[in-house]
Amino acid sequence: MSNTTTIIHDVIIVGAGLAGSWAAMVAAQQGVKDVAVLSKIHPLRSHSGAAQGGIAAALNNVRPVAGTGPRGPLEQVPPGAEPADSIDLHVFDTIKGSDWLGDQTAIEIMCRDAVDVVYEYERLGCVFSRTQDGRIAQRRFGGHSAPRANFAADWTGHVLLHTAHEQALRHGVKFYSEWYCLDLIIEDTICRGVVALDVLTGAIHTMRAKAVLFGTGGYGRAFKITSNAFANTGDGVAIAYNAGVPLMDMEFVQFHPTGLYKHGILMSEACRGEGGYLLNAQQERFMEKYAPDKMELAPRDLVSRSEQREIDEGRGVEADGQGIWLDLRHLGREKILARLPQVRELAIDFVGVDPIDDLVPIQPTAHYSMGGIPTDVDCQVIADASGAPVVGFYAAGEAACVSVHGANRLGTNSLLEASVFGRRAGFAIAEFVKGGAKLQPLGGDPAARQRQRVREMLGREGGELVEDIAQELKTTMTNNCGIFRDEARLRQAWEDVRALQARFRTARVMDKSSRFNTDLLAAIEAEHLLTFSEVIVAGALTRTESRGAHSRTDFPKRDDKNWLKHTVAHKNGADGPQLSYKDVDIDWQKYPPQERKY
Amino acid sequence: MSDNGKHTNVIVRIQRFNPDNDQKPRMQDFQIELKPGTTILDALQEIKTHQDGSVTYRKSCRHAICGSCAMNVNGKNELVCKTPLRERLDKNGVCTVRPLPYLPIIKDLVVDRTAFWEQYLRVKPWLAPPPTVQTDREYRVSQEEVAAIRNAETCIMCGACYSACQVIALNKKYIGPHALLKAFLRVLDPRDAIPGERLADLDGSDGVYRCHTIFNCIDACPKGLNPTEAIETLRKLAQRRLKVEEERLERQKTITEPIA
Repeated sequence: MSNTTTIIHDVIIVGAGLAGSWAAMVAAQQGVKDVAVLSKIHPLRSHSGAAQGGIAAALNNVRPVAGTGPRGPLEQVPPGAEPADSIDLHVFDTIKGSDWLGDQTAIEIMCRDAVDVVYEYERLGCVFSRTQDGRIAQRRFGGHSAPRANFAADWTGHVLLHTAHEQALRHGVKFYSEWYCLDLIIEDTICRGVVALDVLTGAIHTMRAKAVLFGTGGYGRAFKITSNAFANTGDGVAIAYNAGVPLMDMEFVQFHPTGLYKHGILMSEACRGEGGYLLNAQQERFMEKYAPDKMELAPRDLVSRSEQREIDEGRGVEADGQGIWLDLRHLGREKILARLPQVRELAIDFVGVDPIDDLVPIQPTAHYSMGGIPTDVDCQVIADASGAPVVGFYAAGEAACVSVHGANRLGTNSLLEASVFGRRAGFAIAEFVKGGAKLQPLGGDPAARQRQRVREMLGREGGELVEDIAQELKTTMTNNCGIFRDEARLRQAWEDVRALQARFRTARVMDKSSRFNTDLLAAIEAEHLLTFSEVIVAGALTRTESRGAHSRTDFPKRDDKNWLKHTVAHKNGADGPQLSYKDVDIDWQKYPPQERKY
Repeated sequence: MSDNGKHTNVIVRIQRFNPDNDQKPRMQDFQIELKPGTTILDALQEIKTHQDGSVTYRKSCRHAICGSCAMNVNGKNELVCKTPLRERLDKNGVCTVRPLPYLPIIKDLVVDRTAFWEQYLRVKPWLAPPPTVQTDREYRVSQEEVAAIRNAETCIMCGACYSACQVIALNKKYIGPHALLKAFLRVLDPRDAIPGERLADLDGSDGVYRCHTIFNCIDACPKGLNPTEAIETLRKLAQRRLKVEEERLERQKTITEPIA
């Protein structure tokens, strides 16, 4: 671990998905000369690229054919016709989807910027699917009351990610590919840089910057069945928490209704947006019972709970009864090949089923992290419930909690959030740096502590394997802190997480080498899972209500009197998180809380 | 095998090499239990997490969209995340995994892709937008124009084609199938303003004429794309480069107008 130097940039962005790439691209475009992006995997491997179905924006390109009902065919909007969709409608759908926990100013900003951001993607070369008259094609998505999912077949995230990365390169952004951020340097609530490991050599460097952005993604890997990539281990969230930054609303974890059975791999919500059905073992469209109006296109929290209820009551499919059928057969070959080609291949490759001819077994899968690092609408990280800033520290995308998704995110709002707030962060950071921000002095050698940490980890002999501890964590998080929760199960999860944290301290890493040591990285990632899982469980245990994706069987109702507020968790030494609460930003005239029915 | 509920042990033979310690690569056998649905990536994970943590490879999404895990399996390049182990066992129950060929090895199955990314950068992978920038709506592109570039749109830059290419094996100055496919995407996109400049660059000795149409790239592509066909299209377009430029200028006159 020798050859370490201090590296200096104006701006350091950690994470190269949509949030990080937009922030880098815009900061560079705005005249910041020296923008660097760190990514633990090559930027084009980022998980934004796995998103399939679309990016929301009320472009008004497409509308339902009059008189055909909520699941009828769509047509392009003729020139001069009345708009069928609006930014206000997108705002309302998002607020309702969030179960009123989303901050409404942030939601209005997101939905307004959405139109602009999607057009900008188009101008930057993104290859969207098109209507007959050449506009960006749109489809329906769950919880949205108009067809506003702008898409490129079912690989929308892939084309957006490649576009954003290409443009960041075009603007001269420097990429540190396969560099792993180990620590965030904050002293006196001023951010001074990061400590990072060059995966190729194993050298650990202090990296100083005037501003740091975390666009490090979500934390779905804490669960056994997940749609998330191996990389989605919530590193940024855990690192920020360890550095004294609070985490907000971590108990809100989205389970997507259609993960491939056993694998958890995503079968896009576009399957249902294009008209797919969900069937139980009796071949019934069971959503009739749970969301008679929206049916399969109800929001994800509701659909996943409905599936789980069918499974729990013995109407699941496959040998263990843990599956549900996704039926696409009636869409026909042509539509499946044109609109859902990737999804079809995934079903063929992973469960051996061609959706053109057969039912696809699926199950709910941990998918999206509503919680994260709290920020204001310009992605400035806040230090506490009062909103005081952590100067020079920004966060955007799934790692952040701004909060636009509240207790439940609507499909296609994640690519949107990462893009809109990544872009806003780029502008805010450029203003901060060009406004005279200085490199802040460091007290001591921040890299030394990380070198010591790594040396200590590599030095352990004879302990348990990291993987066994990680698997136990995922099992307890899934069984005891999953779709349905109650006090007894959450107490069990709490005890398990704390015990696993203790066991991890003697777990061993097998690979002792310094070159490209992915065994060491897996251990650090597991430590991160253990670190933030305590916050998920503590928040869930304390929140005695059901709201959005947080569903307590012992407190089945939403409780606005006591719980219309954000959970803010600070690390409190060995005692676990210290919880405080922050008001939700609500426009009481325009969007007061209502009963949430679909 | 597992059809009757019994499990069989199989061998995954992995090429090992850490340049810090080893003179040359060696093969190492690992025995694992073949379970239904095990992919080659699952097998590597089982080996890494429970037998030998120093076995090193790249991975991320595990469903063939991130492009991390292209490797050479039984002599053929593929994504190990989507390949069932059962389908790659020889008659002795052995599956052999090596790094992508013709690239420097960093460690075990991890290769140095520097040359690969340099060529990607060389073709300027970004769109050069039309001179008239409109900000309040989209450029109009027809469904046919989108269909024409679909062959390139879904490339995940995994490198399977690149490291299967016999020309690349001998000459790293060749732009390569991955970057030429990207160039094809830009040249054919009606919104791109510099197809002539791109074609001029691709026309050189390291460009489209270097392809010997051996078709290895097509066989290797895990997304079913056809770089050879794209390269042949570029070759034809390069021959009428000035005409292509003219046609693009003409097309861009109506790029903001509805497709009839």
